[in-house]
Amino acid sequence: MDLKELSNSVTNGEFEKIKELTQQAIDEGIDASQIINDGLIAGMMTAGQKWKDGEMFMPEVLMSAHAMHEGMNLVKPLLSDQDISTNGTVLLGTVEDDLHDIGKNLVGMMLESSGYKVIDIGIDVPAETFAEKVKEVNPDIVAMSALLTTTMMAMKKTIDVLKEHGVRDKVKIIVGGAPVSQEFADEIGADGYASDAANAPEVVEDLINN
Amino acid sequence: MTFIPGFGAAYINEIDNTRRAGTMEDFDNFAKLTAASPYQNLTGGVLIDPSDVPDERKHIDMAYSCIKNSNKCFMGSSYGAKNAQEVINMTSILYGTEWNMVKKPVLLTLINTLTPLIFDDKMLESLIEHSKIGQPVIIASHAVAGFTSPVTLAGTLVIQNCEILSGIVLTQLIREGTPAVYGAASSIADMGSASLSAGSPEVALIANASTQISKYYGLPCKGASSVCDAKIPDAQSGYESMMNLLMVPTSGSNIVLHAAGILEGYNVMSYEKFIIDDEMCGMMKRMQKGIEVNKDTLATDVINQVGSGGHFMDKQHTFINFRKEFLTPKISNRGSFDTWRNKGALQVMEAANKKYKEILKNFEPPDMPADVEKDIKNYIEKLYS
Repeated sequence: MDLKELSNSVTNGEFEKIKELTQQAIDEGIDASQIINDGLIAGMMTAGQKWKDGEMFMPEVLMSAHAMHEGMNLVKPLLSDQDISTNGTVLLGTVEDDLHDIGKNLVGMMLESSGYKVIDIGIDVPAETFAEKVKEVNPDIVAMSALLTTTMMAMKKTIDVLKEHGVRDKVKIIVGGAPVSQEFADEIGADGYASDAANAPEVVEDLINN
Repeated sequence: MTFIPGFGAAYINEIDNTRRAGTMEDFDNFAKLTAASPYQNLTGGVLIDPSDVPDERKHIDMAYSCIKNSNKCFMGSSYGAKNAQEVINMTSILYGTEWNMVKKPVLLTLINTLTPLIFDDKMLESLIEHSKIGQPVIIASHAVAGFTSPVTLAGTLVIQNCEILSGIVLTQLIREGTPAVYGAASSIADMGSASLSAGSPEVALIANASTQISKYYGLPCKGASSVCDAKIPDAQSGYESMMNLLMVPTSGSNIVLHAAGILEGYNVMSYEKFIIDDEMCGMMKRMQKGIEVNKDTLATDVINQVGSGGHFMDKQHTFINFRKEFLTPKISNRGSFDTWRNKGALQVMEAANKKYKEILKNFEPPDMPADVEKDIKNYIEKLYS
């Protein structure tokens, strides 16, 4: 089969049809990593690009992500651990005292669909927990979210605590959230800032490659 | 119709379209502008988040600025029991031992839900502290249709209603009779940028419907405001804020938080927009006053006096009534093109820029008894020295 059909199906968010198509590709003996890269992820990348271009809207992109995951669930058992390559690992969380998770989840979704392994440690995450997790999972990127002006400073605190634990320089740090700005990111010593979820993969890619 | 300026923004937009973090000086300035405004009724809460003040003492410095710079009521702290209690204590010093806080409530506090269907602990603590002593609270639900509530406006109203009513019931369980306001703040998701949109017609509809629901329950309402999506005080901010603000007199909502200065949802304050919005608040108050109809205003005597042809400009009836009948604009340009051009061809944001600087330059803080000021300062000193 043509994997283009599979990738279109992801872009269009046809999460019922995607199961049939993915199964068909598996049955035809197409290599699992090829199904993922040229079919599922390719379709998601198209959705992400169309979103950035204003041709698709958020609920449609989320449906694409849903479709991609349906396909992944069928393909992943066929892969050995070595086969699963990622562009990098992102540790993601909303900072202490902030209970908002929508923006964070969107960023997680965009990063996952761009080929990153995302470890989401949830909301209201104390600085110490960020530090412990960094030691445990050794991510390339630490991504912090805050929606409130009252919790923005917890981002600075988290960076300070990462320094105290001696792991600040082992990771790149990105921040985001409605009240966060590039100036604020610079001021607290973050490495990157994404103005919205659609921008996050680009920022992460730049940081990992440089 | 009670107007309260913007609340909780982190940034200041400058007239040259640059942006910077808000400071305590900005807070003082907005407190002064509010004090000087004939239309803003409360000094406010978090007029701007002062980035140069340590987090742990922001609430006390902001409340002190409101006390010092304005003699209008101000808002209690929404952020936890300790902060709420400290502002309450400071207010008690201000009003003195004779103050019966239950009989004469003075602190209005904004309690936001965490949609969908959660109250966070800090907000709940503040709700409890203020309810205990009968100070009015706004229970405000800010659902974002399509994100944190159903995409349909009707479904969003359901979520919003459940959250507000549960908060109000809690205030009454803590202390029956605590004044509580039905706070409808919901907006919609912009599906393109995945951010919230405040300057949309759906937001105006939600505000209008929410006010109707609050009237059904017989509760006072915080509904529409002058929020917008625009980034600077331009034509977009003008039409979005006017659309939203018009819902206040047309739906009959009572408390208008974010009445002046706010830009880009809830993120940014602008001095120029403060002045422009304040002008619109004046228009809303005028509209709410409506058209007075009686023998004198029907003016048949002066109509007979002038007869066919002629004019009314030099009549006693005009002279006596024009000031109370017409709102006098503060910055809106009327008159001829040539006059406007000869006076510098100022666009409204430029006129507003001049206006706010002039108000601040001429500002005189209200009198405060020296011993009260000393006691308040001592209290702050004791807490944060």
